[in-house]
Amino acid sequence: MNTTAERRGPDRRLGRFLVVPGILATIGLLVIYPVFFLVTESLNVGDAGTFPPDELGFGNYQDMVSDTQVLWNTAFVAGLATVMAVGFGLLLAWILTRTAIPGRARLERLMELPYYMTPLVGALAWGVIAAPKTGLANQLGRLLGTNGDVLNIYSAWGIAWVMALFEGTVAFVMISAAMKSMDPSMEESARVLGAGKFRVALTVTLPMILPGIVSATIFVFAEMLSAFAAAFVLGIPSRFIVITTVIWQSTSAYPPEYGRAAAMGLCLFVVLAVAIGLARLVLRKGSYATITGKAFRPRPLRLGARAWPLVTVCWAYLTFAVFLPMAALLMTSFQKFATVIVGDMHFTLDNYASVFRQGAVASALTNSIVLGLGVATVGSLLVGVLTWVIFRARVPGRFLVEYVVMFPQAVPRLVFGLGLLWAWLWIGQALPFTLYGTLWILGLAYLTVLLPLGVRTLAGVVLQIDKSLEECARVCGASWVHQMRTVTLPLLRPGIVAAWLLIFISSVRELGASLFLMGPHSKVIGPAIVDAWLTASSELSAAMALVQTGVVFIAVIFLLRVTRRYSGDPA
Amino acid sequence: MRQSFRAAVSMLAIGFATVLGITAAEAASCPNPRQMDGFKTCADVAKAEQEGEVVFYTTDPPQATTEVMNDFMKAFPKIKATFLRLQAGNLFQRLMSERQAKTNVADVMSISEMTFATDLQKRGGYMPYESPEYAAYRKEYKSQPEGYFGWGTLIVAGLAYNPKLVPANEAPKNWPDALNATFKDAVNTKLSTSGLQDAVWYKLRQLYGEDYWTKFATLQPHGFDSYVQQFDRMVNGQDKLVHTAQYSAYLQLKAKGAELEFVFPTDGVVVGQSLYGAVEGAPHPEAAKLMLDWFLGKPGQASLQNHHYLSSPRTDMAPPPGGIPTGQMKVLLIDDWDAYLKSRPQFVREWDKITGMR
Amino acid sequence: MSETEIRIEIRNLVVDYGDVRAVDDVSLSVGRGELVTLLGPSGCGKTTTLRAVAGLEDPTEGSIALNGALVYSASERRNMPAEKRGVSMVFQSYAIWPHMTVFDNVAYGLRVRKMSTADIRSNVMRVLDLVQMRDFADRPSSRLSGGQQQRVAVARAIAFSPEVLLFDEPLSNLDAKLRVSMRVELRELQKELGITALYVTHDQEEALAISDRVIVMNAGRIEQIGTPEDIYRNPRTLFVADFVGNANVIRGQAREAAAGGEVDFVTMGGPVLRAAAGHAQAKGDAAALQAAYVDIFAPGRSDVPNATPGTIHRRMFHGDFIQYVVDWPCGQLLVRRPPTDLFVEGSAVTVSFAPEHCVVL
Repeated sequence: MNTTAERRGPDRRLGRFLVVPGILATIGLLVIYPVFFLVTESLNVGDAGTFPPDELGFGNYQDMVSDTQVLWNTAFVAGLATVMAVGFGLLLAWILTRTAIPGRARLERLMELPYYMTPLVGALAWGVIAAPKTGLANQLGRLLGTNGDVLNIYSAWGIAWVMALFEGTVAFVMISAAMKSMDPSMEESARVLGAGKFRVALTVTLPMILPGIVSATIFVFAEMLSAFAAAFVLGIPSRFIVITTVIWQSTSAYPPEYGRAAAMGLCLFVVLAVAIGLARLVLRKGSYATITGKAFRPRPLRLGARAWPLVTVCWAYLTFAVFLPMAALLMTSFQKFATVIVGDMHFTLDNYASVFRQGAVASALTNSIVLGLGVATVGSLLVGVLTWVIFRARVPGRFLVEYVVMFPQAVPRLVFGLGLLWAWLWIGQALPFTLYGTLWILGLAYLTVLLPLGVRTLAGVVLQIDKSLEECARVCGASWVHQMRTVTLPLLRPGIVAAWLLIFISSVRELGASLFLMGPHSKVIGPAIVDAWLTASSELSAAMALVQTGVVFIAVIFLLRVTRRYSGDPA
Repeated sequence: MRQSFRAAVSMLAIGFATVLGITAAEAASCPNPRQMDGFKTCADVAKAEQEGEVVFYTTDPPQATTEVMNDFMKAFPKIKATFLRLQAGNLFQRLMSERQAKTNVADVMSISEMTFATDLQKRGGYMPYESPEYAAYRKEYKSQPEGYFGWGTLIVAGLAYNPKLVPANEAPKNWPDALNATFKDAVNTKLSTSGLQDAVWYKLRQLYGEDYWTKFATLQPHGFDSYVQQFDRMVNGQDKLVHTAQYSAYLQLKAKGAELEFVFPTDGVVVGQSLYGAVEGAPHPEAAKLMLDWFLGKPGQASLQNHHYLSSPRTDMAPPPGGIPTGQMKVLLIDDWDAYLKSRPQFVREWDKITGMR
Repeated sequence: MSETEIRIEIRNLVVDYGDVRAVDDVSLSVGRGELVTLLGPSGCGKTTTLRAVAGLEDPTEGSIALNGALVYSASERRNMPAEKRGVSMVFQSYAIWPHMTVFDNVAYGLRVRKMSTADIRSNVMRVLDLVQMRDFADRPSSRLSGGQQQRVAVARAIAFSPEVLLFDEPLSNLDAKLRVSMRVELRELQKELGITALYVTHDQEEALAISDRVIVMNAGRIEQIGTPEDIYRNPRTLFVADFVGNANVIRGQAREAAAGGEVDFVTMGGPVLRAAAGHAQAKGDAAALQAAYVDIFAPGRSDVPNATPGTIHRRMFHGDFIQYVVDWPCGQLLVRRPPTDLFVEGSAVTVSFAPEHCVVL
């Protein structure tokens, strides 16, 4: 009986040693290979249209010195937006985890809403609300007799405001997780020892949640640096240019300045990598606990009448981030020309008719949904296995896997899209089937850029599963595959559902990578909205943005219903 | 002379045809083009229908292009026409990348700038095809030598203003009037990535010297990717004046009932063009030829005029809806294409500075 | 115990975690039907050793044989995966799968072995009967108390009739009362089914009560192997004396290092005691004396062995026994007496103990 087993022993060992190289090779192909093209291109100082380059040099990097205004703009707007977003997040987290305001539970759920909006939608909407002269707010202001504009969203402050509104909820999630995972008895013991509320906040609470705040700050800052949509929509009219706008502009120029775009993108990557590295360092321990850790319910502060200002703050945030933009888009989408002056309003269904009638838009929407479903399904399973390998498998080099998988997080989407375009064009030659120009390549690209998101979502869940649950299955005689199927994956299900949702939402609203990879047969909705904004009208793009948001929202509700029905356990 | 050129083209075509595995007779011009509904073609229509598909790369706005594609499919229901719309620079680079990687997707391309077309022709990016419809086009409106691309539409550039913000007596009459200080921070124009701007820059520089643009830069113009944003901002009052205003955009908005005025500068309008050609290595070569002939022929021209409001280079077409024929305009044409093409990098650098893009 | 009766045989096992050596040259064997306990403080390597036997840790050196067949051998580069070893294990956390019913949990190992549905049913019911959980078969396992989870975990571990059963601190998460009764049940079950078991615990009382033999481990090494009585009565090292039972350690020097028999032990406090000589390698600089072996008499008694004067410093009533702290010439001495032996704090007494209970280390 033992001969077979004996023979299997070393084989299995060998197999385990092959797991990591196998994963590294696959993911590396998806992730590192495009970056290789970027690096090569950034050193290209010859004809930009030729690959591999004829001439190599550091000219593109040297040229960046002359772009100081752009670099300064980028740093300024990202810094400003980060301060605002973390401010929102901290305030909301404190209110919703530490105070007993009326309707707290519902507010906490509503805080998810900004997630379903995209920065692109937000930027379009705020353009409608607060553009100089024509913005609804400014029209209203003139109606009420103000001189000049009340608000100007086409400015550094405007861009930062819109980005902060949408990243604010990310900061909120991260900071409130840190606050919830803090054992309230630590504060209570300080109180018992005679410290006042303020002293407790300063000497116990703040140091405890500081890692959460710092990591949220760094994470949000990294997102801001590589953000494209808001600066693109709101920056260009006011001649306010940031790195991502320059990258887009450089790739559209003739002669194209791919070298400049790649060099700028890689510099951004270096900054992002350092920032994310710092965030990890700060959160070395319990980093995942801050996302989904054990939650304590601290005894909330009873505030009485003083609670109302705090309630107002919460609803104000939701209004600015979700309700007001949505209302503005809704109103605009039904108008011929966007206006708040009742007498000038001409209502029409034309914009929606165009969205659904026009072959291009309708097929882009269908493609996006198909891609979202496919990528989310394949992606969540893949992420499940990858996360397990990273955090559970006893295989050498698994940390390398983590670094490779998390890599795309540090590369701005827009730049990564460019790298993916080149990479897949070149791989395409060697393949017996066509990949380029199909939905498959978009699917692969989405999968690659959304891996970090999925792994981040699932890591906490994997770490929470007691290791012995899996070991017990092995000892009971189950193979690894059997164990994954019967024990690990079922236990991971809530996390996988969450990852599925996030990947689906992110796929449908993907813009950066899609801009470069979509083809005549594979149009998707994100770039189509940008296209409509560039070449049609804000009214049509408003209608498209609303339809996109609606689709995401309906899909999410549908999925939640379905999973709730099929998961019997009241967890 | 012309005979020998045609011989050369057919020799070239034979070379390509061998590569593509199609017979020489079909690859270039043909002695007996087939008469279709309103246009002639040398394409094998049955084969084109067998190919069943055609992919159009364009710089024109997607909404109107969708309608144009629908018109084509009405004429040829067996051929599914799809398109990809990108900015000129992006479109060109996309095509170049695909060519380099030998992954051909595009069949027909229209691109709104001569620089790209000439470059592409130099790189062998066009399928040599002598469309029978070229006969209706002036020599200047075709590639040199003939058989690579033709001017499918004319894009007329002038000035446009908002009459609510600019009283008639302050309205510009000619290009230098647009430099008036009242337009400071209230004038918009196109970005360097946009097709028409290069020609306007080149022409006005020729007429009024470097000075013109130095003065223009002090107005701090807002640059945009497309005429839609330019005119939107002008109509809704964010800007008073559109510099490098497309006549087609004016016609389109006028038809919608918007309030705006177009100025044909007394010193002349600048005319840009969309260049149409079949793409070398097209995955659907017969359909590509058929579509090119359709575009250059009267049905395609009518479709482009109706949906894009662009003017036709053909003299046998009526003007776009609500517009006047190009023959009645004073036109500033590029006279030295070589000099124009060479000035491109300088234009990009200067224009990016003028529009604050670097 | 003959060669064929050996079920688990570990030879020179070494397990490294990076630079840390968790298990350092451990050799032991477990005979058929025997329950052997690995006892030691946390971090002593006992759990690691157990997990290496299960195939859940990759050792660095040595070999492990189950039923005479090598499952791990560093020299032969052999490492059989856990699921092929045919052992079973009860985990400290019970590892009850929350997404399955009690029945499914118990049936898991049987299903993996592709048993027929009828056989699975009868087997599961048989073992659920054994652990008195028959009525809970269809209950979702997320709704079980700690004790019930413990029983299910045991049922699951024995359901597929493994030859070797491994216990990783199975009772440490139960409250004190339940722990004691479960201890009895486990021992009953193990005897009844004739299971060979390796049992890990840090609770010395549990180890002494449940085992055929106890292996005391410290810092990755084995300190002593023996029957519970032997370990308790004759600790070989200071560590074992300190860890097992409630031993007093008396500092001093044995006069002649004669193995076996009795020796004179000169304490640092002055008095010379008669003590058991201990094992051959004993250093002779300390002696261990379990608190329960000390007698307390009225002052002035001299007709008892090792009679020494002392004073009651503190009396603590524990119910089953009374623990005294007695001041005596060698410092303080812990003494446990039945609750009937009452002495007043501060009163003078004579303490006494038999030489064989005071073991030179």
